[in-house]
Amino acid sequence: MSDVRLRVENLHSYYFAHYGTVRALRGVDLTLEAGSVLGVVGESGSGKTTLARSIMGLLPPPGRIVDGRILFGGRDLRTLTPQEWQALRGRDIAMIVPNPRGELDPLLPVGEQLVAVIRAHTDKGHREARDLALGMLRAVQIPDPERRFRAYPHELSGGMAQRVVIAIALSCSPHIVISDDATSGLDVTVQAQILSLLDDLVRQQASSMIFITRDLGVVAHVSDRVAIMYAGEIVEMAKTTEFFDHPAHPYSMMLLSAFTHDHALRARWTKEGDSPDLVRLPQGCPYASRCVRAQPRCQAERVPAVEVAPGHFVRCLYPL
Amino acid sequence: MTIFQYVARRLAFIVPQLLGIVAVSFFLVSLIPGDPAVLMLGPLASQDSIAKLHASLGLNQPLAIRFLHYVWRLLHGDLGTSWQTQRPVLLDLLQRAPATIELVTYSLLVAIAVGIPLGVYTAVRTQGIPSKIATMYGSVAGTIPDFWLGLVFIFIFYNRLHAVPAPTGRLDLAIPPPPTITGFYTIDGLLTGDWTALGSALAHLALPALTLGLINAGPIFAMTRSTVSRMLDSNFAAYAQLSGLPRSLIIMRAFRNAFPSIVTVISVLYGFLIGGAVLIEFVFSWGGAGQYAVQGVLNADIDPVLGFVLFSAIFSLVIYLAVDLIYFALDPRVRR
Repeated sequence: MSDVRLRVENLHSYYFAHYGTVRALRGVDLTLEAGSVLGVVGESGSGKTTLARSIMGLLPPPGRIVDGRILFGGRDLRTLTPQEWQALRGRDIAMIVPNPRGELDPLLPVGEQLVAVIRAHTDKGHREARDLALGMLRAVQIPDPERRFRAYPHELSGGMAQRVVIAIALSCSPHIVISDDATSGLDVTVQAQILSLLDDLVRQQASSMIFITRDLGVVAHVSDRVAIMYAGEIVEMAKTTEFFDHPAHPYSMMLLSAFTHDHALRARWTKEGDSPDLVRLPQGCPYASRCVRAQPRCQAERVPAVEVAPGHFVRCLYPL
Repeated sequence: MTIFQYVARRLAFIVPQLLGIVAVSFFLVSLIPGDPAVLMLGPLASQDSIAKLHASLGLNQPLAIRFLHYVWRLLHGDLGTSWQTQRPVLLDLLQRAPATIELVTYSLLVAIAVGIPLGVYTAVRTQGIPSKIATMYGSVAGTIPDFWLGLVFIFIFYNRLHAVPAPTGRLDLAIPPPPTITGFYTIDGLLTGDWTALGSALAHLALPALTLGLINAGPIFAMTRSTVSRMLDSNFAAYAQLSGLPRSLIIMRAFRNAFPSIVTVISVLYGFLIGGAVLIEFVFSWGGAGQYAVQGVLNADIDPVLGFVLFSAIFSLVIYLAVDLIYFALDPRVRR
């Protein structure tokens, strides 16, 4: 498990908006090992999607990676040409998007969209690609795949469309799958089915996965390691078991306490406050304004990541 | 829904639509000042003979009765008679409508051939000098009067370069029209192998079609550019890029998704140009239906005007029906 598939070092991605520079990612470091699943958790605006898009090389303008390296297959992805990017996306690194009915081409049967991706990345003919596409639809457990192959996106339910997008992402057996909030719009039972399906398929293909979500509960099930993001930084990263046994960051405690029915516990870790403005970030810890353990020092200095246990990193001056 | 149900439903609406158009145009045309009897008999006619002619034309009856008479005759295929040509309006229109439709169709083909590629190009490449030039052309095309551009072209290509025949109608005077099959000289020439007539018809079409085409490429260009660039910014294009699909395929998909909007603007132009080409018909002495209608308006010759309105209404409805069929074929969401 020590074979590193993807290493992100000191990644900074900013959006250069007219009202100021939104510093959406500030010094993100992470490694993804072969065959493992990394869960990335954070509230909206914490930089999860920016992280995914940065790795895919497709930050929507006015976004840009300003610093750092993304190492994959011995190369820094930031040095790829557009042609190399096009070959890599979908084949080596594939992404599963949320709200897939809005992401598929409304005028094409979903099977043809699957075939198009397969043909773009392999030298298969149309017949072979079609067979593989049907096999993928079967693999994501779509009932009656021949009929669904000819269906248009608007004819599918949200859960079915999500399966199609998973089939597209896995069709070329990518080394890395990035799932960005892929199950958020679905109801709980469908969500559970899709999660276990995704987990099975990724492990079968020996792919690695970055699983981005707002839901800490989901992460407990699917991921080997957990990274908690807050305001563009990873504030805590650990093996999943280690994280749930010994959470160290006050923000992690706040997230975890939200799951309990223990009001007293929840109240102990929750403090009213605003998320920091990413254009005008405070000098010190961005969580300080909402942190129940904050000390004067927290407002003043930039907080480095420290290793509190082997492989367990926390960005906090007063970890638990 | 099958395509037959779809067409049947559309056709069912056409009859009331036509009736409404006839009613509105009948009452509007009746507001045009001018007395056909006075114009027909001349300034020296006596009150008595004018009254007689009024009676024989039915002009002394109330407007509502005249309308019912008109509809009754319409239902029997009688569009009335033009006092200027002394011929049934139906025959006049059958002769002149193909002239206009032929001109407008070729103009539209020019407009499509110019507008769509330019629109796609500028949507894909928003920066750069070619895009700037195309954008400039797009805004200029909407503001130039077509008759003026027609005159400029006549000056350049006929007076100076002698590249085209004189702007006097659809054929050289010495060349007889090809045997009538469709009324379109180019198609009839092709069908009957009358190459002289075909060549002359094409040469006469060149300038007016180019004029109207270059002017009307403007809206097609603008619609193509805006919808294709919107599609390129849409989620499905972003997802296609995330999936590593080639740029050319993404552009093709964007164009396909933009196509219904482009077809819409083309169909609106088609219907509009049937009447909107009239100034060019005058400039090139085309002898088309628009010219016929304007002569009617100027001389209180009411039946040709109403006949023309009815003709262009039917033409537009047929075009819109065709467009709906295109939507039906292109967009699976319409078929529900």
